[in-house]
Amino acid sequence: MRSALYYKAKNTGINLVIHFFMLTVAVTCIFPLLWMISSSLKTQETIFKDMSLIPKVFHFENYYRAWVEGGFGRYFLNSVSYTVIVVVGIIIISSMAAYAFSRLKFPGKNILFFMFIAAMMIPIQGSFVALYVLLNKLHLRNTPLGYILCMINVGLSASIFLLKTFFDKMPKELEDAARIDGCSKLGIWWHVALPLSKPVLAVVVVLNALNVWNEFILALIIFDSRPLMPLQVALMAFQGEFVTQYPLLMAGLTIAVLPIIGLYLLMQKYIIKGVTQGAVVG
Amino acid sequence: MRQSKLLSILIITAFLFLSAGCTAKGDSGKNITIWHWMTDREPAFKELAKRYEANSGIKVNFELYAPSDAYSQKVRAAAQGSNLPDIFGILGEKRDFASFIKGGFILDLTPYMLEDKAKWKNSFFAKALAVDEFSAGNSYGVAPGIYGVPIDIMTIEMVYNKSLFKQLGLNPNQPPQTFERLLEIGRKLKAANLQGLVSGWGEIWMIDCLASNYAFNIMGKDKVIATIKGEVPYTDPGWVKVLSLFKDMQESGLLASGVVTMVNKTAEQLFANEKAVFAFNGSWCVNVYKGMNPRLEYGAFLPPKASNKYPMAIWGGAGSSFMVSSRSKNKEEAIKFLRWLTEAPQQAYLAESTNNLPANKNSLNWIPPVMADFAKAMDNATHPNVWGVSEFSPVIEALDKGIQSIIIGEKTPEQVAREVQRVKERELAKKR
Repeated sequence: MRSALYYKAKNTGINLVIHFFMLTVAVTCIFPLLWMISSSLKTQETIFKDMSLIPKVFHFENYYRAWVEGGFGRYFLNSVSYTVIVVVGIIIISSMAAYAFSRLKFPGKNILFFMFIAAMMIPIQGSFVALYVLLNKLHLRNTPLGYILCMINVGLSASIFLLKTFFDKMPKELEDAARIDGCSKLGIWWHVALPLSKPVLAVVVVLNALNVWNEFILALIIFDSRPLMPLQVALMAFQGEFVTQYPLLMAGLTIAVLPIIGLYLLMQKYIIKGVTQGAVVG
Repeated sequence: MRQSKLLSILIITAFLFLSAGCTAKGDSGKNITIWHWMTDREPAFKELAKRYEANSGIKVNFELYAPSDAYSQKVRAAAQGSNLPDIFGILGEKRDFASFIKGGFILDLTPYMLEDKAKWKNSFFAKALAVDEFSAGNSYGVAPGIYGVPIDIMTIEMVYNKSLFKQLGLNPNQPPQTFERLLEIGRKLKAANLQGLVSGWGEIWMIDCLASNYAFNIMGKDKVIATIKGEVPYTDPGWVKVLSLFKDMQESGLLASGVVTMVNKTAEQLFANEKAVFAFNGSWCVNVYKGMNPRLEYGAFLPPKASNKYPMAIWGGAGSSFMVSSRSKNKEEAIKFLRWLTEAPQQAYLAESTNNLPANKNSLNWIPPVMADFAKAMDNATHPNVWGVSEFSPVIEALDKGIQSIIIGEKTPEQVAREVQRVKERELAKKR
């Protein structure tokens, strides 16, 4: 018979190992962020000499310089607009499509769904030239609409897949009740399916917002006019062929990363719910 | 109800944002558009564009698309969509350049270069122009001609720290001229416990570059080309001598510890922070060192000769070039601008403000001495892109890894020579 002390010690030991592991992972995740902030407060010279995390002299002016020299004002607004419009577009289209794939019966449903899923396997870089030529023919090159449509398209497959999996497990009784109350198919989608899928929607929002916020290669290819470019393009101004202005780049990165961290913190509750309770609906 | 209102507001905002971007483009008229990827040169280009507009009344729009990978994709896509600007650059190997020419996207500049007794052509370093030139009977099937304008050049040489030279009791204005002298200094700095030569030899191609420099110096160009063609084996005493130089460098104490796995950024950091006496680096280092340590006192020199039989050759050529679109409506204006951009005063301004070497050989007197040293080395410059033949990648890899093995004392030069030859024979057999 083992004593209570033995089990207590065992639990404490296991907890210690788990906590040590979690702490290591947390430090590994946080350290690059801290290094980025620390480097953003150094000079180009001290960044290569002073390896400490806390700089001897804080150069807050790097943030002002990054904002002005990178022309962040305009680009920041562009990025916010692209992110909001694309994410809203993805949510509306993918939730409608996922609901249709999950609940409606129509010919070619499975083939169409698998085609969407197959699209996830094609990296966007592989379709740059084709997209460019297509947008050019549609006179949508160098327009925000062309870029937004492409980005919506990029995010659709994964979002449809996530939402369809969720809708498949949604109890049919809820829809029946709505139908008795006089809801149309569109009404059920709007009043029942969407409000219930908040945790999955949060995951879709964060994943797609992150994707749009960090995207710049497609923007560079589609846009010729600099005023239409997103924020990430401004960061490239600090990265030369052979020389990188690290303090300004790090200050710019810190500015760029803030909205996405804010969004994550705002949606954290739903994301955890979405991940842990994905199967529980209603 | 609240959800519907929110959605309506979003849709209206989106519509307004999208309509704002859909304005029609006006006719460009006498404007010239240039696409480039050179972030560090953007402010200087813009300043030059302003000066040109003030002189000629023609507006020049430099449009920056960085990083270079995305830029290359954009240029390729624009060529497919017939949207190339008046002037642009092509990144990549010579065969990429050739494919654009064969696609009919690039204007042949030869007639313009030869105007006025070839005044424009003769203003460039011949080896810089060679990168943009296709000779008769070239293997790419391109009609002979000059298809690009070099904007700047680059060379890869050795640099030395003048302050550490003084500390070692050496003349700071006399870098070593012979390989023997270099080894002597190696022994001196080993005794003084100083780190010697740093370079990005962990990135492989830089070790290949130095080996190729000494192969030209010891065996001459013809024999090196014959080796690539498979007519001379790597077990030839000339190649064994080249490989032995790395063993000698290591044994003398010239090479810094960890040089075999060093990436160039680390090497640059060590040299800039005065922790190494020598570095083997490209001319871009002037800009890098300036950013890392503006007070660094250093000079550039050719890798010291190991033989007097043939001249020392270094890798170099056009750093960046601009091409004129053959479909541009503003061809003549574009060429006029490029002619102006490559005149000595503009080249000197570009060199001074961006720390890149000028392509115009007449502007050397106008630039800082270190840069002039690098630029003067153009007389010794060569590059695999202009040899007309290229070595198999597995052979280059075997040679480079073999040199790394020699440096760490794992293999002898003779062993490496035999191994490289085996890979060469295997590749030749595959080709047959």
